[in-house]
Amino acid sequence: MSDIRLEQLTKSYGDSVAVDSVSLQIREGEFYALLGPSGCGKSTTLRMVAGFVKPTAGRIVVDGQNLTPLPPEKRDIGIVFQNYAIFPHMSVADNIAFGLKLRKKSRSEIDTAVRAALEQVGLTGFEDRFQRNLSGGQQQRVALARVLVTEPRILLLDEPLSALDKTLREEMKFWIKNLQQKLGITTIYVTHDQDEALTMSDRIGVMRAGQIEQSGTPQQIYEEPGTLFVTSFIGQSNILDVKCLEVKEHKATIELGGQVLQASTHHLIGKGTGAKLVIRPENVLMGQEAEAQGVPLLAATVLDETYQGAMLRYRLEVAGQEIVAERQNQFHLEKWDPGAVVRIGWTERRARVLPEDGAGSSSG
Amino acid sequence: MDDVNPVPLTFRFIAALALMVLLVPVLIVVLAGLNSGEYLTFPPEGFSLRWVENFFTSPTFLPAFKLSFGLALATTLISTVLGTLASIFLTRSASKAREFLRGLFFLPVVLPGVVLGLALYVFFIWTDVGLARSLAGLIIGHVLVTMPFVIATVTASLVDLDLSVEEAARSLGATPLQAFWKVTLPLITPGISAGSIFAFIVSFGQFELTLFLATPDLQTLPLAIYSSLRYAFEPTAAAAGIFAICLVTVSTLISTRLSNLKKLLSRR
Ligand SMILES: Nc1ncnc2c1ncn2[C@@H]1O[C@H](COP(=O)(O)OP(=O)(O)OP(=O)(O)O)[C@@H](O)[C@H]1O
Ligand SMILES: [Mg+2]
Repeated sequence: MSDIRLEQLTKSYGDSVAVDSVSLQIREGEFYALLGPSGCGKSTTLRMVAGFVKPTAGRIVVDGQNLTPLPPEKRDIGIVFQNYAIFPHMSVADNIAFGLKLRKKSRSEIDTAVRAALEQVGLTGFEDRFQRNLSGGQQQRVALARVLVTEPRILLLDEPLSALDKTLREEMKFWIKNLQQKLGITTIYVTHDQDEALTMSDRIGVMRAGQIEQSGTPQQIYEEPGTLFVTSFIGQSNILDVKCLEVKEHKATIELGGQVLQASTHHLIGKGTGAKLVIRPENVLMGQEAEAQGVPLLAATVLDETYQGAMLRYRLEVAGQEIVAERQNQFHLEKWDPGAVVRIGWTERRARVLPEDGAGSSSG
Repeated sequence: MDDVNPVPLTFRFIAALALMVLLVPVLIVVLAGLNSGEYLTFPPEGFSLRWVENFFTSPTFLPAFKLSFGLALATTLISTVLGTLASIFLTRSASKAREFLRGLFFLPVVLPGVVLGLALYVFFIWTDVGLARSLAGLIIGHVLVTMPFVIATVTASLVDLDLSVEEAARSLGATPLQAFWKVTLPLITPGISAGSIFAFIVSFGQFELTLFLATPDLQTLPLAIYSSLRYAFEPTAAAAGIFAICLVTVSTLISTRLSNLKKLLSRR
């Protein structure tokens, strides 16, 4: 159990920068997810921590110790790869014993530890199996057991679920999280799947083009996305063009389709400049619900309705822009047909104003 | 009912034809070696083991067979070790010299054996360190022509090898050397054994290069067969051929058996 500090960690390949000055603090026992689209530098960051990639600049500090110059075998960090990397020429038991043998443990110590590790991952009785006779989920568990048996300071996971089918993925998600909590091991988890990141992590770092664009709890990331990129990467959002009239104490006054509205913001945006209004479909109120909130209302035209079982999804047009609203599908709630005009609105807290991409500065 | 054979009939016919073309000469050699007549003729005049016996008592053939065997063994050993090391460099190094070196290693396969033999001979004479017409020089020549085969097969298995298993070993506490011995080497063993068998067979049958580097007291089996056919057209040469064929067949069988055995053992 250890804390990790990345200090301006950078990796460039020739002219291209894979990881661009990433600074990060991860607390002891924390489950930290690096989330981002393909090629944004998640794996490179992880591989620098593991010691497989030499940083161009910056430091990796664990428990106050600078790990940067150490080779992987001296770091005491466990890593589980996307393809699990089970040694194909060794039995499950030998795979798990690998790290212990290198640590010159006694035969009996190794046997006990291997048995305990297999039990921990629910694979008792699989000692003599080989990789080709294991399912993806089982290989995953062997890979975890092999790493955990050496009691590493830090656990690194690089898209460990991406090779599994959907049902197994759901199951393993909670299983890994439980195991991590039980052991209290500091974990960095790389994924491009927002659901995994949101459900498993204590904190998430959203990466884009080698940089961490926003770092925060799943709730902060989902409810208070700091940039348009984070907004569009996590969940679904309506992003509307608005004009910013005034920003005061994290409150923005904006204009949309001739109507003056309020929204929250963490940015300083110039008066009269264009900005983006971000609102999630589930936060767009329609009809009586909107009127009951006593918020400024806008007139919208229903374009179409999609039936989604528990939810109804409306595509609306407001001030020449499209906006999507999701309503609970309950019989006592109002419903609208395409072409109908409906009053919509939202509470100030649920709507956020962000600067146009690249413009404006964060005020925290 | 049988499953539909996925190989079209035409292909199977062509394959059978090719196999025949390859196997018929082998059959001819074997039959000729069992000839009971005085001369190397085909079809044989009758069957006897007299030429086989003659092979064992001949002052040239048996020593030549032994020399070829020993030479092939030594060549294989050196070629396998050097070739494996070279393959690791060729697949893992980021050096700019890589492509150049790869070309250099494969040159002996592309060059006509006569050219290579002459070049080596001249080189040995010129350097004058006692390599010309010596066993050491002969081994060097054979290593040069057999190493490409080792490099080809070992490189193939190294390219197939998933690097993350090595990385997993490293982060579990293995030094680069430990990771190589415990993980990489066992996983590329099939490639290495295939390469060494190739090396053995190529060295055993090497002719043109040997022609330049051998001496009368360093006569390999191919050379002995060649000279015996030039001066006396006797079936002992074919009998020697039978032994050569047996040796090559056995070594191939052993190698496939070995790699199968390994698979069987690991499957349990
Ligand atoms: N060895 C390398 N040489 C050159 N460029 C590299 C190398 N490794 C990674 N890159 C580049 O660095 C960038 C980041 O790669 P990285 O593997 O870290 O992405 P990622 O976020 O893990 O993506 P994915 O979700 O696809 O795994 C990519 O643009 C990639 O092409
Ligand atoms: Mg990756």
